[in-house]
Amino acid sequence: MAETSAVARSPIAPAPPEVVVDGWVVSARRSAAALTLTDLTPLAKVSVKASWDGSMAELLGVRFGRAARLSWDLAGSPADVLVTATGPGEWLVLAEPGRQGAVVSWLDGSAARADELVTVVDLTHGRALMRLAGTSSAGLLNKECSLDLTDTVCPNGSALRSAVSGVATDIVRDDRDGVPSYLLNCERSSGQYLFDSLLDAGHELGVDIDGFAPQETHS
Amino acid sequence: MTSRPWRDAKPRRVVAPTMSMRLGPQAGEVIDRAASITFEWNGRTYPAHRGDTIASALAACGVDVFSRSFKYHRPRGLLTASHLDPGCMVQVGDEPNVRGAHRLVEADMQVRSQDTWPSLSFDVKAANELVRRALPAGFYYKTFMSPGWLWPTYERVLERFAHGGVVGTQAPDGRPGRYDKRHAHPDVLVAGGGPAGMAAAVAAARAGSSVMLVEEEQQLGGHLRWGDDADLSALREMRALVETTPGIEVLTDSVVLGRYDSNWVSVLQRGLPEIDERLVKARVKTLVVAAGLIERPYVFAGNDVPGVMLSTAVRRLVNLYAVKPGERAVVLAANAAGDAAAADLERVGVDVVRVEDARTGGDVVAVRGRGRVRSVQTADGQSIDCDLVVTATGWTAAVSLLTMAGDVPRYEPSAARFMPDLARLSVDVMATGGIVGDGTLEELVAHADATGREAARRAAAVAATRRSASPTATVEDAGSGDAMPAIVPPTLPVNPHPELFRGRTHGIVDFSEDVSSKDLFSAVAEGYRSAELAKRYTTATMGPAQGKLETVNAVAVVAEATGQTIAETGTTTWRPPYAPVTLGALAGREREPIRRSPMQAWHESHGSTTLVAGAWVRPDHYGDPAAEATAVREGVGIIDVTPIGKLDLRGPDVARLLNLVYVNKWSKLEVGRVRYGVMCGEDGVVIDDGVTGRLGDEHYLMSTTSSGAAAIWAWLESWLQTDHPQWQVHVTPVTTSYASINVAGPDSRELLGRVVDDLDIGPEAFPYMHVRTGRVAGVEGCVLWRIGFTGELSFELHVPAGYGLHVWEALLEAGRDLGVRPFGIEAQRILRLEKGHFIIGQDTDGLTRAYSAGLDGLVKLDKDDVAGMPELRWQHDQRDGPRLVGLRTADGSLVPVEGSQLVDRDGRICGRVTSSRLSPSLGRSVCLGQLDAEHAQPGTQVTVRLIDGTTAAAVVTEHLAQVDPEGSRLRG
Repeated sequence: MAETSAVARSPIAPAPPEVVVDGWVVSARRSAAALTLTDLTPLAKVSVKASWDGSMAELLGVRFGRAARLSWDLAGSPADVLVTATGPGEWLVLAEPGRQGAVVSWLDGSAARADELVTVVDLTHGRALMRLAGTSSAGLLNKECSLDLTDTVCPNGSALRSAVSGVATDIVRDDRDGVPSYLLNCERSSGQYLFDSLLDAGHELGVDIDGFAPQETHS
Repeated sequence: MTSRPWRDAKPRRVVAPTMSMRLGPQAGEVIDRAASITFEWNGRTYPAHRGDTIASALAACGVDVFSRSFKYHRPRGLLTASHLDPGCMVQVGDEPNVRGAHRLVEADMQVRSQDTWPSLSFDVKAANELVRRALPAGFYYKTFMSPGWLWPTYERVLERFAHGGVVGTQAPDGRPGRYDKRHAHPDVLVAGGGPAGMAAAVAAARAGSSVMLVEEEQQLGGHLRWGDDADLSALREMRALVETTPGIEVLTDSVVLGRYDSNWVSVLQRGLPEIDERLVKARVKTLVVAAGLIERPYVFAGNDVPGVMLSTAVRRLVNLYAVKPGERAVVLAANAAGDAAAADLERVGVDVVRVEDARTGGDVVAVRGRGRVRSVQTADGQSIDCDLVVTATGWTAAVSLLTMAGDVPRYEPSAARFMPDLARLSVDVMATGGIVGDGTLEELVAHADATGREAARRAAAVAATRRSASPTATVEDAGSGDAMPAIVPPTLPVNPHPELFRGRTHGIVDFSEDVSSKDLFSAVAEGYRSAELAKRYTTATMGPAQGKLETVNAVAVVAEATGQTIAETGTTTWRPPYAPVTLGALAGREREPIRRSPMQAWHESHGSTTLVAGAWVRPDHYGDPAAEATAVREGVGIIDVTPIGKLDLRGPDVARLLNLVYVNKWSKLEVGRVRYGVMCGEDGVVIDDGVTGRLGDEHYLMSTTSSGAAAIWAWLESWLQTDHPQWQVHVTPVTTSYASINVAGPDSRELLGRVVDDLDIGPEAFPYMHVRTGRVAGVEGCVLWRIGFTGELSFELHVPAGYGLHVWEALLEAGRDLGVRPFGIEAQRILRLEKGHFIIGQDTDGLTRAYSAGLDGLVKLDKDDVAGMPELRWQHDQRDGPRLVGLRTADGSLVPVEGSQLVDRDGRICGRVTSSRLSPSLGRSVCLGQLDAEHAQPGTQVTVRLIDGTTAAAVVTEHLAQVDPEGSRLRG
């Protein structure tokens, strides 16, 4: 039956129970497991392309291979964003659900001051995003990804791109309260497959689905 | 005649399986006497203790014969009582070729012997031995060739003699095997968990490395496990160190399969709770090989009779499994291991009748017996009655992994074994333990400790280099680290050992392949004079043990036969895998990416038949594709076209890029306009097509075929990054940012008007081949195209993907009174075929250049440049190549199979049918085809050769489109 008002859906079917948060149908499930996988697709996601060493790169302040939490003035109020640089001359800015318009405006304003071609594209609906969190998250990830995820090569704040379960995936190490955690995003249509693959691989490690919390941000 | 009371006694037969050969508790035993279980062996129930292997449990019950040999089906018993034992390959449930001397018994396990008929004790195939002279090694190279008409018979006969177990088609417990993979990046990987391996691992971990310690047996410890009290004490101490030292991951019942370039190492891990086998793919900074020494069998007549065992087999059975290997033994000892074996046997009450000391000329000549040793002839000519012959005649260094790393082992005559040439090893590979030399336990541990520390030092240097080179490193990580001085391990002594390979008689060299020393002599006589050739001709060393037990003996026999020294003969080359590996482990979990549109779940819940197109799952139809097509022609239908490739192009030079990659012109495309374009490769072959719309001054949205989306993105980036880096263009894939829906049919404008409220979609405001942005069903940011593939009035909507299902359902709800229905891929194919729209890859192939696809009007050769220009110009001037045509069969009810040949009057092939469907609009078949140019004129009669060989008449139509060829419907 058709919904009477527009609600957005993630490519990842929400684990019951469902709830609508910020206009998105999400899972309200709560897990106390030591290793969790959470669908964060509703987060705003805006892509920026510019020279890897130009004025826009300097303005963003995050170099290739790294990610950083910044505070931007979005539509007149400070907001936390996570700026990730998984490719040279490519950035993906994550913000709270529904803030993609404000992020685009902020970036467009910055781009106008840059002396180069800068492209800002809203990919909120184009990427599936999930968080893998727990002390054994690297162990799970290494069942599906061949990268060296050890602390020496992939410390907190690393941003990189590789294949996870055969899907091109951006990986950002984003520890939370000292617990290893990874943000994974891939093109939207493979989101359910990637989510399912990680659950399958993590079965022996006791991975559990955690739902999208209303105050869930990238921070 | 000497009285042989023990021999004259009633023959020992296993009437009711009891642990008649089980000894009392042994200091180092691994069995749990408090845990008794039962299992089946060839249909009979046998007792066992937890910790028993299949072989030890059976041996404890007095079983002597575990298998039959490959070719001659001779009875085979335990030889090594380890994972390498060639005499104990068994079938466990549906799993063939299980190493019975390694696999632990589980309760209710069903074990059977392999490849015997009708039974293990009476095997008809043993008749092969009667015709042994006709079946020497390599006999199959000279037989089974003629007459050729008998080959099917040869095949059936040979199938019955194929060795190995049976692969079941269904798991007895209903659970298919579970295999998976894992990637690892240890600083140091130690292959071998004996004392040297353990010491190296501890030392490396203490020096700060992450260590992976891999051991093939179920426990760490190597030879210490079956040693004396001092060995057991050292074992406990070393195991405790491993356990308490942080940073060591221990994998037991696991084996390093191979070492590849840049220290990529594969490990097969078993013994996991939920996983049958796991392939660990490790990128290792330093590999330490501590695989130890493998005891070598002695070649003499009767050396394969059950009851002939190696000294290590005897010590394992006695000390690990508390099993009495026999009652009356003769021991041939050339080293301390033989002495120790004799001592162990005497300790547990075995009558050690004679110890033949090979160091002073002792030898065994031949063993007599069939199902069990009955007597042995010694060098002095005596025949001694016994049921157990133990040999301790030498060691083979397990250098396989080092060989894979580039080592060329050299033969050391004084030690009677091949040894690695450590100077040849690359900096990321080291060796320690028995492979390198001999010495006391303390000397071996000291060498291993230094090796471990040096391995850690080298690994740290590699880590520092990688860290500083990695873009993910922080500024603090950027240092290269202090260079520490190298640690040189002390030199290990190499103990002298007599060279004992083949005795005074011929015997079995390769127990798995049933290859004897006589076979090797024959091979040499036939001209196969090198170790490599003799190996391949006889298959010696090519069995499950992969030469670990056989190689040195084989080389020695070849050397003897050729008159060369062993050093001159050299050894064969070990290649991965080090041990047999299942296909399941190599395959791992099924990981085949699947792509779904936001509406796919709706399609499946509404009766769609799934079509798998590449990685996409799509709805092929909803039960009646013809009716779906008719609905589009007469009313309105909607189709999910989300997989269509979509690329966001921005920058001042986008038009220049479009001109380069499309065959037509793009400089004057206005904002709000859409143009169809075709791309060709540099060979002029059509590679993709689609529409591109201009959304802003420097903003375009390109569509591609769904299968070409990724390739075209790469194609554009290739041009931009290599040939035209100065062009200001950014390409962002947005294929799945949008859910794409095509609304098609005479009522499509009416339907769309009910869900679009901020846009005039009338024919004047929104004409054909235009693009707009607006709000659809309350969703902002939608892109609307006035285009069509079906030939009807249609609109293509690109909706932010998260709202795709909402808009889809809104359209169906809003158009209920219009009879709107979804249509699938099959209906779309019918509709586009009626309109003569070609599909790349269906109506074109890898040789179809632009003019052969009917693109004469589209190609603009007066442009400055376009990909494929020279080939296109050539094709235009030469007017060669086939042409895309519409075809109409004389019998309209005939729908030729796609791919059917088109033939001319003379029966020569002049083309093929590329697309073919029954048209519900026309009530007859419609086809497209590729046809040689001389036959491609409208009205030309051609003949279709159908797949059943019959023919049918067809004619080339005037237009590709056979419905509304003027295109008035879609421009409405």
